[in-house]
Amino acid sequence: MAEAVAVDVEDVQKKFGDIHALHGVTLRVRTGEIYGLLGPNGAGKTTLIRAIVGLVAPDAGTVTVLGRRMPDVDQLRNVGYMTQQAALYPGLSVEENAEFFAAINAAEGGVTEALELVRLEGRRKAVVSTLSGGMRQRLSLACALVHKPKVLLLDEPTVGVDPQLRVELWEDFRRMAEGGTTIIVSSHVMDEAERCQRLGLIQYGKVLAEGTPAEVRERGGSNNLEEAFLRLAGPREES
Amino acid sequence: MSARRVAAITRRLLQQFRRDRRTLALLFIAPIVILGLLGYLIRGSQSVPAVGIANEDQGPIGSVFASALEQSSLISASTIQASDGDAKLKDGSLVAYIVFPSDFSQRAQAGVVAPEVHLEGSQPGTSAPVLQALQQALASMAASGPGAGLRFAPQVHYLYGGRGFDTLDYFGAAFIGLVVFFLVFVITIVAFLNERSQGTLERLMASPLRRGEIVLGYMLGFTVLALIQSVEVLVFSLAVLNVHNQGNVLLIFGMEALMVLAAVNLGIFLSMFARTEFQAVQFIPLVIVPQVLLSGILFPVSNEPKPLQVASDVLPLTYAVNGLRDVMIKGADLTWPSLQLDAGVVAGFVVLVIVAGIATLRRRIA
Repeated sequence: MAEAVAVDVEDVQKKFGDIHALHGVTLRVRTGEIYGLLGPNGAGKTTLIRAIVGLVAPDAGTVTVLGRRMPDVDQLRNVGYMTQQAALYPGLSVEENAEFFAAINAAEGGVTEALELVRLEGRRKAVVSTLSGGMRQRLSLACALVHKPKVLLLDEPTVGVDPQLRVELWEDFRRMAEGGTTIIVSSHVMDEAERCQRLGLIQYGKVLAEGTPAEVRERGGSNNLEEAFLRLAGPREES
Repeated sequence: MSARRVAAITRRLLQQFRRDRRTLALLFIAPIVILGLLGYLIRGSQSVPAVGIANEDQGPIGSVFASALEQSSLISASTIQASDGDAKLKDGSLVAYIVFPSDFSQRAQAGVVAPEVHLEGSQPGTSAPVLQALQQALASMAASGPGAGLRFAPQVHYLYGGRGFDTLDYFGAAFIGLVVFFLVFVITIVAFLNERSQGTLERLMASPLRRGEIVLGYMLGFTVLALIQSVEVLVFSLAVLNVHNQGNVLLIFGMEALMVLAAVNLGIFLSMFARTEFQAVQFIPLVIVPQVLLSGILFPVSNEPKPLQVASDVLPLTYAVNGLRDVMIKGADLTWPSLQLDAGVVAGFVVLVIVAGIATLRRRIA
C-alpha cells in the first residue's frame, strides 16, 4: 500500500426491516483523494455515508476512519459532514451558525476562513431564513468544514445549486483535496463524477464497480460515463 | 364557487387523517378519557369533610348539638379529644373540629350559642359545610323547643390562611407552578423537535458532542429563560394578585425551578416520540390534562376515589403542587418532612427524565 488509507469500509451490511440498504460494501478511500459515490436515488449512498460517520451502526462489517474503528465520537472532530438537506438554524445569522458548529468542534478560529471559502463573508450578519437555497447550501458546506476536518463527507452537496456555483464548489473541493483533505462526495450527476479522482458505483446497496472515471468508462465499455454506468447497473430491478 | 373543488379539499383533508392514525386516535379517544376521568373524579369523590367533635360541655346542650352533627349529611363527624384537634388538622385526617366548651350550656341558656370552630383553612371550599352543619343543628334545636331567640356566635379559628383567604389563594399557589411547567414543556418539546426535523440534530450527532452534553446544554438554555419567567410569574402573583404567602419566597422559587427542570427534560424526552410539531402538540392533552385533573390542583387528592388516588400518588405534579401549597399556605420550610418528600420526589423525577432523554437520544442513532 503506497498511499495511506483515510477511510476503510470492509464488507458492511445494513438492513432496515426487509430493505437491504448496504449489501456487503467494501471500499478504500486514500488520503487527499476526492472519492465519488455514484448511484441512483435509494442506492444506499446516504446510508453508507452515515455508516462512515457512525450514525448508522452496521449489522456486520467494519468502518475505519483515519485508523480508528467507527463509531468513535472523538474521531468525529476530524470529520466534517454535510447532510443532504441544508441543516442549519434558520433563526440565526450566517456567522452565528458557523460559530456554533465551530464551537462544538472546539475550533473557534476557522469561521472567517470558512465563510470566505464559500463566498459568504459579505453576508455574515444575514439571518439564514432570508437566504436563497444556494446560499444555504454554501453555508451548510462552510459549517461542515469550519473545523478543518481531515475527512469531509458531502451528501449530494450540489443539489439545488446553480451551474456556476456548482463549478465554483468543485473548484473548492479540489483545492481542499490538494491541501490534504480527503473528500467523499455522493452524487447522481454524471458530470460531477468526472471531477472525482476515483468513483464507486453503487446500486442496491452494492459496489458495482470502482476505479478512476476512465477505468469505469472502460469497464462499462463506453466513452460516456452515464452510459457505462447504465450498462454496469443492468436492467432496473423493481422491488 | 365550485362544489367539486371544495369537495377536493375536504377529501384531501380526510385522506391525510386516514394515514395519521395517531391523530385520529387522539381525536376520538382523548375526549372520552378526559370526560370519563372528570366524571369519575367528581361523582366518585367523597366530598363530605371529616370533622372532629369534642364535647367538654358540663351541661346537656353540647351533647344534643354533638348528636345533631353526627346525624348531619353535610359532614362526617367523629368524636375526638380537643387536645388532639390541631394535630389531626395538620396531618390532614380532619378538615375541622368543633369544641363545645365547658360553659356552652350555661351561655346557651343566656341566649348565645358559641361553639369553637377550628378550621384547617387551606382549602376554602371545605369551611362552608362545617358552619352550615352547625347552623342546621341549631335550627333543628330551635324548632324542637327551647331555643327561640338564640344568637349563633361561633368562635372561628384558622390553622392556616384566615378569614380573607379565598379561592385564588388556594389555586394561585398551585397555578404558579402549573403555568411555568406547562409553557416550558410546550416550548421545549417543539424546539427539540425542530432540531430533529431541520436536520441539525443529525449534524450534532456527527460532531464530537456527547449526548449528555446536548441534553445538558438544552436544559441550561431553556432553564435560563424559564427561570426568568418563573421570577415574573412569582412577582406578578405575589405583588399584583396578592396571592396569600406564608412561606419563604426562595423556597417557592426553588420549587418552581425544579418544575422547570422537569418540564424541560420531559419535553426533550417526549420529543423523541413525535415526528411533527402537530404530534408534539398532541402530548398536551395526554401529558398535561390528566396531571391537572389528578394532581390535586382542582380536587383535593384525599377526596378522590381510591383508584385515582393511586394514580395521583405517582404523578410528579401532585408533589410539586402539594409542596407549593405547603410553602405558601402553611409556611412550610425544609425542616417539614412533607416538603422534603415533595421536593425529593420532584427532584427524583427530574433525574429520571434526564436519564431517559439521554438514553432515547442514543437509541435513535443506532
